[in-house]
Amino acid sequence: MKFAIALFSAAHAPSSRRALLFAQAALAGGHEIVRLFFYQDGVYTASNNLVAPQDEQDIARQWRAFVSQHQLDGVVCIAAALRRGVLNNEEATRYQRSAVNLDAPWALSGLGQLHDAAQAADRLICFGGP
Amino acid sequence: MSTLHVVSHSPFTDSRLASCLRVCGTEDAILLCGDGAYGLHNAALHTKGLKVFVLAEDMQARNVTLPDWADSLDYAGFVQLSIDYDKVNTWL
Amino acid sequence: MSKSLLVISRQAPWSGPSAREALDIVLAGGAFDLPIGLLFMDDGVFQLAPHQDAKAVQQKDLSANLQALGLFGVDDVFACSHSLAERGLATPGSAEPLDSDAITQLIDRYDQVITL
Repeated sequence: MKFAIALFSAAHAPSSRRALLFAQAALAGGHEIVRLFFYQDGVYTASNNLVAPQDEQDIARQWRAFVSQHQLDGVVCIAAALRRGVLNNEEATRYQRSAVNLDAPWALSGLGQLHDAAQAADRLICFGGP
Repeated sequence: MSTLHVVSHSPFTDSRLASCLRVCGTEDAILLCGDGAYGLHNAALHTKGLKVFVLAEDMQARNVTLPDWADSLDYAGFVQLSIDYDKVNTWL
Repeated sequence: MSKSLLVISRQAPWSGPSAREALDIVLAGGAFDLPIGLLFMDDGVFQLAPHQDAKAVQQKDLSANLQALGLFGVDDVFACSHSLAERGLATPGSAEPLDSDAITQLIDRYDQVITL
């Protein structure tokens, strides 16, 4: 089974952890994840400026490790990311911002990537809210 | 086609579950997770005759008791459920 | 054949970027010639209310995006009649009103759904 997973909430939302555990279970079950698409507040997941308190789970870091380890396609919506201050080197240069807080394994791209993933997948699963 | 509706908001502060119940088809099921697990206290779910599932960890975290009209599952079960139903509609 | 997608928009237009971002999913799908439907439900029906004045709160007017739906080939636009009635709104000209049973069938018809 091919899954497209879309995440709409920040890493501190319980739904972000839920999405991660779902994605891990999907791979463990022998399924494929065609793409992870981060939209709305989901784009905060990709910010490498997040600092979790030491005694709390660092879900953003776990996402990063998961995407890297399995070489998944982790796409962050560029319009939603710019609006929320999540910028890669190219965008920080373009808009003359001093901070770059998005790098590999994440890629900035457009909403077309969400539709493309949904078309390629057997199931589109969205996570967000609390 | 059947739909798995996923609700993670408490029905006591939010209208998502009520809206979901209004448009749920007879072949559909509801998966409660997060604060949605508090929905097990909601008798309306039971009377609709729909299949109701709850994510076990969220039930356990909240000390919500599993009624005999609902089933609990883990993440492997969640993945399987998303395959068993034709589509998943998460009420974000 | 392309998979069809139904977007259910439940947010009022003035609650931050949510409503606009929901609409952006629809417009992007339309731009790629995908079969896309849009259903306004719950507070989402407030997007269809007449004579709103975005300038009063220095916002961009969402209604321009709504008018663009047709240009992007998105013709399947619906509104939940229960939500309209609950909020005392008249049936809008730009969306086909559907009762709860019709919405059940609508969701059934589409391959995928995003509700936000």
